[in-house]
Amino acid sequence: MLIACLVYDAADPPAPHGAIEQVARAVSPRVTPCGRAAVVCDVSGLGRVCGPPAVVAREVLAQAAAAGLPVRLALAGTMTTAWVLAHARAGLTLGAVGTDAAMLAPLPLTHLLAITELDRHVAGVRRHTEAAVAIRTAADHRPVRRSSKSGGGSPGTSTPGDASFRSYRDRLATLERWGIDTCGALAALSRADVRARLGASGVRLHQAACGEDVVPLVPIAQAREFVDRIELEWPIEGLEPLSFVLARQCDRLARHLEQADRGAVAIRTTLTLTTRAHHVRTLALPAPIRDAKVLRTLILLDLESHPPDAGIDVVDLQLDVVPGRIVQGSLLARATPSPERVSTLLARLTALCGEGRVGSPVVLDTHDGRACGLAPFLPPSSGSTVTEPILAAEAREAMQSAAMTGFSTVTEPILAAEAGPGERAPVPAHLRRWRRPRPVQVEVARGRPAQVAWFTPHDRAMAVRACAGPWRTSGAWWDTDAAATWDRDEWDVELADGLVYRLARHRGTGAWEAEGVFD
Amino acid sequence: MASAAVRSLETLLQTRNLGSALPAMAAPPRRLATGWLAVDHRLGGGWSLGALSEVVGASSSGRTHLLLATLAQATRQGQVVALVDALDRFDPATAAAAGVCLDRVLWVRGAPVMVEQARPGVIEQAVKQAVRAGDQILRAGGFAVVALDLRDIPARCLQALPSITWLRLAQVVEPQDTVALLLADAPVGRSARGVSVLLEGRAVWQGDQVQSRRLAGFQPSWVVRSATGVTTGEASRRTAWEGAC
Repeated sequence: MLIACLVYDAADPPAPHGAIEQVARAVSPRVTPCGRAAVVCDVSGLGRVCGPPAVVAREVLAQAAAAGLPVRLALAGTMTTAWVLAHARAGLTLGAVGTDAAMLAPLPLTHLLAITELDRHVAGVRRHTEAAVAIRTAADHRPVRRSSKSGGGSPGTSTPGDASFRSYRDRLATLERWGIDTCGALAALSRADVRARLGASGVRLHQAACGEDVVPLVPIAQAREFVDRIELEWPIEGLEPLSFVLARQCDRLARHLEQADRGAVAIRTTLTLTTRAHHVRTLALPAPIRDAKVLRTLILLDLESHPPDAGIDVVDLQLDVVPGRIVQGSLLARATPSPERVSTLLARLTALCGEGRVGSPVVLDTHDGRACGLAPFLPPSSGSTVTEPILAAEAREAMQSAAMTGFSTVTEPILAAEAGPGERAPVPAHLRRWRRPRPVQVEVARGRPAQVAWFTPHDRAMAVRACAGPWRTSGAWWDTDAAATWDRDEWDVELADGLVYRLARHRGTGAWEAEGVFD
Repeated sequence: MASAAVRSLETLLQTRNLGSALPAMAAPPRRLATGWLAVDHRLGGGWSLGALSEVVGASSSGRTHLLLATLAQATRQGQVVALVDALDRFDPATAAAAGVCLDRVLWVRGAPVMVEQARPGVIEQAVKQAVRAGDQILRAGGFAVVALDLRDIPARCLQALPSITWLRLAQVVEPQDTVALLLADAPVGRSARGVSVLLEGRAVWQGDQVQSRRLAGFQPSWVVRSATGVTTGEASRRTAWEGAC
């Protein structure tokens, strides 16, 4: 095997993103990019096409020169040798298969520090591959944002702060104190003795000095972009004619997604308008989708809510993708709505009710009972069930605890759920909360509400039949925004008409308001 | 003689593929438990799947408890549910305390309108929006429960809707394994296989001392109306509903 390592040879300006990788891909399909500034590729088969390694090296350098990139190039039998040589020597370094140790032998030991970065990239590639497999085999597929940093093995330069770098540096310092100052001298030592004295890091350095790889080269496929662009002969006004254009584009993109076994998790629609302005919309999808009709419907529904201001000249679609979903349904569990259907439904409901009005309810981490949130609705896959009656189990446990201690911590819903058909247990009262509290006038007698009057002409004041409270609650007093703070007394009040309300008295202003009704 | 005639009639219906018209031969309706054991007992196991049912009553009668118990029951079985909240009065903390798995709930929030202070037309718009949202969710399918909360909406606004509205919703839900629930202050509409649960309640307070008193809940009574008749719940009283329905 003949491995080439290409390294960008300039500190300033930094290597253009992907430029070195493009040079390598021009000569070999088996490429492992190692950050922006280095790439390792397998050029074994090029001997039959180009000739001996020297000719191959000239081809690579010609490609780099054509791209305007100053590079170092090393060809060797292993990835480690090529990497160390490319980082140690400027220009071209040619080696033959089987002469790795001899090539490295005259180099000072400090050049072995370069393998820190190589090992990190190799480990990153391995994690990336494992993560891809995990994503493909996972039963529950959630949208996974593609990240430029794959699997934690983020490319970058080794810094003295890295643990492995420090470990290698310490081992090399030890070796130099022992009088071993070249790779050849280190390679001449017994590996067992090196392990006994310097541990695993010493062994890795010994392997590098011998030009041995820890893992073989794992080629990374070129990231494929899913974009489609249509430049229209005549501007389009309105969404109906646009739907035909989008249908063509979505059909093409769906075919490409199918071929690559990918699903779209985000759609970026860019409309270039006749005013030369760009109308950009980005849609995040709850699950990977590659159905052309669904994609088109989602884009159209979004554009219905946010229409462009002028006629459309150019339509650009760009998809963010993740590996395709593999769904294993359950024969016994009830089917949940498919992600495609949920996406379309959510888009329709959002178009109907507005942004921020559709989703899953969320209880916020605050003591302010009025606070609530909305999260994206992502239905779990069919077959995943919630642990059966958590509440009933909790109830039994709490009842036993109450029987022993005399204190009941059981909540009312649980008690009601446990009550049988013949029992006369009251059902719990649940609050229906008014998002806009209603101001009321409350007459207080002996420190408790006695009469409540609404500020509407047709409602008359009503006597309080029963009440409970006050429950004092306050919070966010540390907040600089005065509107965020609250400090109030809450009362549960039953009026003469039999309805039970939650009233609150703001302690700062003394104003009363009704927050909701129990039902 | 009569039985022979009935048998021949049944055979004739079956040969014409009209066997489903025979009540005895129709499959028993599948049901979803409400989570409120006493009501389940009266309903024969719970809400009928593929039917439009309704929960009706005044405020402070236990309607929310019946709704949350149903949602909790469905979500605990791993199913997803939808709640169309016409006036945006759903309280997630209350629902979570009642055992509802919130991440399995699709919550569609209507406009937060105060009925007493709303401008003309706003409530009607909110009702139409809620009904359309409910219709779209039912058509999407896959939800175990789709609840359309129209409580606190004046009867005149609901009556302004075409009567065909509820029939269409009933038709959409009929072939599905879904419970469509309408919650309102007064009866609105239900499908032939659905039921109307009419609730009344009175508040129950616990604690003799002023300092220790708290709201324990509601003592409900209910009337269940269906196409096959009327059954009453415990402690039920003859009320205005008897005439209203």
